[in-house]
Amino acid sequence: MKNVRVTAKRLPETWTAWGFLAPALVLLGLFVLWPTLRALFWSFTDADLLRPQQDQSRGMANYSVLLNDPRFRQAFFNTALFALMVVPVQTVFSFFLALWVNRPEPYWRWLRTVFFVPVVVSLPVLAILWTLLYQPVRGEEMGLINALITGIGLPGQRWLRDPTLALPALAFMSVWQGAGFQMLIFLAGLQNLNAETLEAARIDGAGPLQRLRYVILPSMKNSIIFVVTATLILSFRLFAQPYLMTGGGPDGRTRSLIQFIYETTFQDRNLGLASAGVILFLFIVAFLTLMQRLAGKEEKS
Amino acid sequence: MKISQQFRLFLTVFGLLGFGIFLSGCGSAESGETLRVWAHQGQEAENQAMREIVASFNEAHAIAGIRAEIEFFPDHQYSERIAAGAAAGDLPDIMDLDGPTLARYVDAGLLAPLDDDFSEAELADFLPTIIAQGTIDDRLYALGAFDSALVLYYDREILAAAGVTPPNEDRPWTWDEFLAACATLKEAGVDPVSLHMDESADEWYTYAFSPVIWSAGGSLMDPDTGRIEGVLNAPENIEALRQWQQLFALDYADNSPVEPNPFGLGKTAMDWSGHWMARSHLEAKREALGAAPLPVVGEHRAAASGSWAWAMLSTSDRPDVAAKFLRWVVSTENGIVPIVRANGAVPARRSAFEAFPEYEEIPYRLFKRQLTEHGRPRPQTPHYPALTRNFAEALRDIANGADPAETLTRAATQAQAVADR
Repeated sequence: MKNVRVTAKRLPETWTAWGFLAPALVLLGLFVLWPTLRALFWSFTDADLLRPQQDQSRGMANYSVLLNDPRFRQAFFNTALFALMVVPVQTVFSFFLALWVNRPEPYWRWLRTVFFVPVVVSLPVLAILWTLLYQPVRGEEMGLINALITGIGLPGQRWLRDPTLALPALAFMSVWQGAGFQMLIFLAGLQNLNAETLEAARIDGAGPLQRLRYVILPSMKNSIIFVVTATLILSFRLFAQPYLMTGGGPDGRTRSLIQFIYETTFQDRNLGLASAGVILFLFIVAFLTLMQRLAGKEEKS
Repeated sequence: MKISQQFRLFLTVFGLLGFGIFLSGCGSAESGETLRVWAHQGQEAENQAMREIVASFNEAHAIAGIRAEIEFFPDHQYSERIAAGAAAGDLPDIMDLDGPTLARYVDAGLLAPLDDDFSEAELADFLPTIIAQGTIDDRLYALGAFDSALVLYYDREILAAAGVTPPNEDRPWTWDEFLAACATLKEAGVDPVSLHMDESADEWYTYAFSPVIWSAGGSLMDPDTGRIEGVLNAPENIEALRQWQQLFALDYADNSPVEPNPFGLGKTAMDWSGHWMARSHLEAKREALGAAPLPVVGEHRAAASGSWAWAMLSTSDRPDVAAKFLRWVVSTENGIVPIVRANGAVPARRSAFEAFPEYEEIPYRLFKRQLTEHGRPRPQTPHYPALTRNFAEALRDIANGADPAETLTRAATQAQAVADR
């Protein structure tokens, strides 16, 4: 009798749990899982954006076309290079930003808000702003950045029009724009830091660098892993800045993977090829995230 | 039992919710005799004029029980909206399309031909550029209410002060004459010409600078075979763009302008721009405003043309009503005159010019003349978006100092690769 009662009570409980999960699962399935499966399916076909119903199987052809397409390769290379520039710089920069503003006085709180503002402002607005900041020198007129540079005697640059400088210029702007978000996560981590341990280290004679190395960094590990992962994924999703500020140029040096996928879908109508691009993109990001998780775990052991 | 019942209710509610979302994504309410019309969103004055045209159509057809309903979509989302509609089987009966994208929708089988709905005498009233733009493989698929024109505006006073003889309305400047004028102006301390290189839409570059290539006898694509590679990067095209590149190399034109209308503010002496600037330039310059055909690299005369045009969907289940509506929006009195009054474009029919006395004057006179005498549509290919993207990118890179031969060849190869897939 007792057993029966227990199971009778438990079963509905699991059901209730599923019930609470249902809305999230339905939405997740409808807007994430289903489209992903759809893309996977399309990636093996020649689906045309304007008549996706009449698709025919192409096997792996889309994948081999993509891997041999110089535009796709360039887009991949650009995106990877962008991530390579942004992830370390932004992580370190936002970490020190967080250390710096992690003080209780109210005006520091105000400064935190200031650093967070670019995260909230819409990217198109920032794109226009930074296009003006990056204006090349023409006669007496130039953007603020060139004015600063020529002011200290260096030659002005054609930032967004120079094939080698354009991507770094976009990366710089992106670090400025995104660092506030990472700073906030680091701040949360810092405020969870055990003040007594830090105080003990200080009493034991640990200097600021030693405290950072042996106390702060180890306890910030989870925040760091999260920030690096999130920044990596976000930087692989690069689209708005180059699309609005350089159109993917000069010489295609700022075309991102997402821009390639967008163009292939909506301009070239090649839903099959674009889907293959999406699946590859998904694999790249998943692989990098996994590698990073593994690297994080290894250090722990 | 009570929990289980609650749960069943719970599941039902969320199941229905999910199903509802699913349905709202797929379905659309069928609406009797209501004709569905899609249009791109223009300036507010233009949208308002379009709404009034629809209202007048509805009024005139109220007895027959016919009603049209118009929906506007922002320019930059329009082709995405059509694609999504095509995939979901949710398309209107009639819509407007940008001229060069027509071939893409014909190729996808979305449009119905219009030949049977208009007599030859009626079609003869339209500008030749409108007919050329709407005709794919000898069948007419679209008719516009207006067209576009591109000219070289200039300020008579600035040119006179610098000692430059203005270009002739009948005979365009050769490229050498154009460069010489720019050199004189620059020496006089004036910024010679604005080319609007800040424009974010790819289409501006293709629209504005294809005429340079055409004037040298080149084209972007072989109209018979659809071949791009070897045509877009033909020697005459490369030479034409080498000439064009001089404007930036010699700093006669700003490659990264900030100001959208420097000519209107008196900062540049000439403006490489379209009919849409005519009103504003006339207001700013009055008698001082001059306009000439664009400078030419070779002997050939070919003027830019093309704009939004109306087309009927092949999926429409009331093509007769759709045809009535199309006839209404491209009729001189009911469609063209009100819309042109609102957007200042060039009327698509010869009979409409009477309503616009300004077509006796500069710059309007030149618009009409260019379109009737040597207007040329942009290439008609289902792969136009890839062509224009690669060409525009090449133009930006060449303006930036890249080698024209190498850059055009890469653009041609990439556009051809898309066309071959």
